[in-house]
Amino acid sequence: MSLSLIQGRRGLLVGGMLFAAGLVLPYVVYPVFAINLVCFALAAVSFDLLLGFTGLLSFGQAMFWGGAGYVATILIKGGTGSFVVAVLGAVAYALVLALAVGFVAVRRSGIYFAMITLAIAEIQYFLAFQLADLTGGENGIQIVSRGTLFGLSLEDDKVYYYLVLVVAVLSVAFAVRVVSSPFGAVLAAMRENEVRARSVGYRTESFRLAAFVMSGALAGLAGSLFAIGNRLAGLDGVDWHTSGAIVMMTILGGIGTIFGPIVGAALFESLDYFVSKTPIGDKTNIVMGTVFAIVILVARRGIVGEILHRFFAPRKRLVEDEDQPDRLIVDPEPSV
Amino acid sequence: MKGSLLRQVAGRRGILEWFDEFEIHFSVTHEGERVKLFRLSTAGAVIVAVLSSLGAPQGGNAQSGPIHIAVITDMSGIYSAIAGRGAVEATKMAVEDFGGSVLGRQIVVDAIDHRNNGPEAATKAREAFDNGAELAMDETNSAVALAVDAVAKEKHKLEIVTGGATSALTGASCSKYTYHYAYDTYALAASTGRNIARQPNGKTWYGIVPNYAFGTQMLADFTAAIKPEGASFIHADMVPVANADFSSYLLAAKNSGAQVLGVLNAGADTVNTMKQAKQFGLDKSMKIAVGLLFLSDVDALPDVFAGSRITTSWYWNEDAAARAWADRFTKRLGGGLRPTSIQAADYSATWQWLQAVKAVGSVDADKVVAYLDGRQFNDFYAHAAEWRARDHRVTHEMYVVDVLPKEQIKEPHAWFKIVQVMPPSRAFRPESQSVCVKTW
Amino acid sequence: MIDASPFMLAQASFGWDYILTQLFNGLVRGGFYALLALGLSIIFGMLRIVNFAHGTMYMLGAFVAYYGAQLIHLPFFAALIVAPVAVGAFGLLVETTLLRRLYDVDPLYNLLLTFALVLVIEDLMRLLAGPLGSPYETPAVLSGATNLGFTLYPTYQLFVIVVCIAVCAIVYLIIERTALGARIRAATEKPELTRAFGINTRRLISGVFAFGVALAAFAGVLNAPSTNVSPTMGDAIIINTFAIVVIGGMGSILGSIVTGFALGIIATIGAVYYPPISNTLIFIVMVLVILFRPAGLFGTAERTT
Repeated sequence: MSLSLIQGRRGLLVGGMLFAAGLVLPYVVYPVFAINLVCFALAAVSFDLLLGFTGLLSFGQAMFWGGAGYVATILIKGGTGSFVVAVLGAVAYALVLALAVGFVAVRRSGIYFAMITLAIAEIQYFLAFQLADLTGGENGIQIVSRGTLFGLSLEDDKVYYYLVLVVAVLSVAFAVRVVSSPFGAVLAAMRENEVRARSVGYRTESFRLAAFVMSGALAGLAGSLFAIGNRLAGLDGVDWHTSGAIVMMTILGGIGTIFGPIVGAALFESLDYFVSKTPIGDKTNIVMGTVFAIVILVARRGIVGEILHRFFAPRKRLVEDEDQPDRLIVDPEPSV
Repeated sequence: MKGSLLRQVAGRRGILEWFDEFEIHFSVTHEGERVKLFRLSTAGAVIVAVLSSLGAPQGGNAQSGPIHIAVITDMSGIYSAIAGRGAVEATKMAVEDFGGSVLGRQIVVDAIDHRNNGPEAATKAREAFDNGAELAMDETNSAVALAVDAVAKEKHKLEIVTGGATSALTGASCSKYTYHYAYDTYALAASTGRNIARQPNGKTWYGIVPNYAFGTQMLADFTAAIKPEGASFIHADMVPVANADFSSYLLAAKNSGAQVLGVLNAGADTVNTMKQAKQFGLDKSMKIAVGLLFLSDVDALPDVFAGSRITTSWYWNEDAAARAWADRFTKRLGGGLRPTSIQAADYSATWQWLQAVKAVGSVDADKVVAYLDGRQFNDFYAHAAEWRARDHRVTHEMYVVDVLPKEQIKEPHAWFKIVQVMPPSRAFRPESQSVCVKTW
Repeated sequence: MIDASPFMLAQASFGWDYILTQLFNGLVRGGFYALLALGLSIIFGMLRIVNFAHGTMYMLGAFVAYYGAQLIHLPFFAALIVAPVAVGAFGLLVETTLLRRLYDVDPLYNLLLTFALVLVIEDLMRLLAGPLGSPYETPAVLSGATNLGFTLYPTYQLFVIVVCIAVCAIVYLIIERTALGARIRAATEKPELTRAFGINTRRLISGVFAFGVALAAFAGVLNAPSTNVSPTMGDAIIINTFAIVVIGGMGSILGSIVTGFALGIIATIGAVYYPPISNTLIFIVMVLVILFRPAGLFGTAERTT
């Protein structure tokens, strides 16, 4: 738990730095790529809200991301062309879906939870594939316009980028607020010791469900912004590889650090995007997989987590782990 | 001026390349400012440069710099053998044969890997158009082709699809800025279907059809194609997505007494179907029509596809001109592989586009479209061809071929035997049936 | 677009022989599910990790058979032995060099590590063998069809059914009836207690992992003549297998076998009556099982991870 990163002056500093980077981003990289990057960063934050603070690893985040993307594009294409309606509709869809899926999935935790969310996400994938009249099947949905926001045209990539940035900043602020609230404290307590949390009267399943729904809604928000930004929705969005990518971004950046996943998403997307343009572009997955494996093996705190740990840890002390008396470790491993 | 400032402040080659990748554009030319920046740290210089470029147009080299052709293709995935590197090289060959420049501007071919991902293809296409690409090519993968179609429409740049199969490109999604060049699902179905249905033992069909958009479209097109010849599907199984076990459908097909087995799926599904069909001995009792198949598929699995009948838009050994080009292509790529129809189409389309640009004296898509619409041409790839103005379908001859077994081929990769040449009027959807709503 | 429904309804009346044939098809599909779920379950029972790379090992098995045939004319029946041994050895390497480092931390990290392995191995295989399929023929002695009285059925598919049932039975007997099996069972069902007895040696863990992935490789070879041998062939089947072990109860040997065969039959018959449901049926069953029996059909109690 690295709440120290996201709270107080340090939180403001790190958040401010990321925000400043976000402000200049579309002038440094191609604006549409910048849009994609911020959307994935938000998706990673949504995932961290779940994994970092409840210990639940969802391997089905793409169902909210991609599902909301479909809803958003369908609403723009067939509806009023209003950006707000499309995004709200998409988030509502993700929220209801998360509620239904969560109702089933939070009955189990750990590895089971990962496998169950993965499997349920596949249901939506196959539905999207076969309900071609609604989703365009394997061809996807293309829209000609991003819609309008209270009369403002969003077709300019930079205008749309800054809109996405504002939404993302507000969402991240919301996430920070959630994890620093009493609700977040209960989540943390549950993650550390579920039995104890239960014994003091918390209905742990309800708390987990609430976290899952929040995470799903945020992922849906990110996915709808992504789909509208790219003016398309397709099977790539609901594919399990997208869920895997979101997991990788978060762990790359640092579980439970909120800001870490933003850095992780930026790194992942940049690596992915720019490696794919180089002569070793056909080896992208080898590069990504290897980097990810190394992080898991030697740097489980993630990039931001490791930096924090190395340079900002309050005071290094040797902690004797009660369960493993034969091992002396510096700080407990971040338990997932 | 792209990157020129950094060349001074960063200096190191590795960093430079890295920044080039990030597509930084500078409009800083002021000598005094340049000296001033020199004194700043690298990081500071980047920030100042970035801020000073606020408001500078991205890719402001539309009128003078090189003309880019973006070959948006699958460089490593399942379509990389059909198009991939070969598609890029074929396009480069066309550019080199044309002289390497047009309207006094150099022509640059950019290979863009779409990795079979719609949003990625759209983003990269957008970036390419913004950075001087005047033509997007290939797009092997229907979802990618449709995604780029939308971008081309938005940017008013030209897209010539040689790889994507969906006839929606000239149907519901037709656009002024998209031509569909090589083949489509309708042409495949019309040619193969009509050819087989004409024969006395080609009247009753059994379909194995994937239950998604491609499959239902294929079935509809095949059904329409064989009907005039008095043939029909006695049954079609709508096989679920990602199904790997076709034995129940194949068994039913065998018991149905149908004369023709229509394998209307694609990719790995087709391989699974064909493998299991051979286990049931169906290849001996029925004629097998495969909806979508390329030379490279047969290269990979010759025994699996031997004996099936398909349609291709071009075959490297179809005549002397095709063969001459194929020899050059094979020599250029090395490894002995022969070009697929899509790779040949990439060359042909690039050449035709360059001719048009030269003729109108502009790369402007509207002017090029005005020139191309209705124009007829012939080259080593496209015979009796026309840029159809009605829906931007490029029509030409199609070839119904049999896939020969290993023992019967006369030289490596000579898998096909042409059994019928389909004239364009019969191969492609007639204008009268077009569902394209022409808005231009 | 055409309405596909008339085609689906055309099958509305089925004779008993047709259903019986579909039952055989279900057994073929279920046999592969059972082999994969069995391996996954044994590994989970012993190591407490979910091997995301199980489908990848299945794919590697098929490729060992393919390269064996290409390079040294390795016959199919030899490949059935060689490929599991080779992939098992590879599994041993993975366990000792990678997975072992993560036994002391949350098991989810090993899930993620095996996920990374999927990305790397699949891409390496794609570079090596190409993204398209590689040819693998049905062995001559098993090609053709056999008359079952009610239908002509491919001989090879019959062979698959027999072999799958036999292998599952043998593995079950080893685990239930031998001393080695008793240790594995003990470690699976009461891991803490077994560890306390000092039985749970590293060698047993490594051996079980190697054996589990060898089963996956065996399934890969067995399916090579019927399916497209390609680097992504394990992708679809692994998620189905995950669902099956959740339904059966993670770590339950009998549960994996029975659920594997049962779901194979259910999914096949379900596809006959209502094809669109075919892909999702297994997942829907999984949801129902979680709702009414969270520990799985054969699972004994909720095990926290």
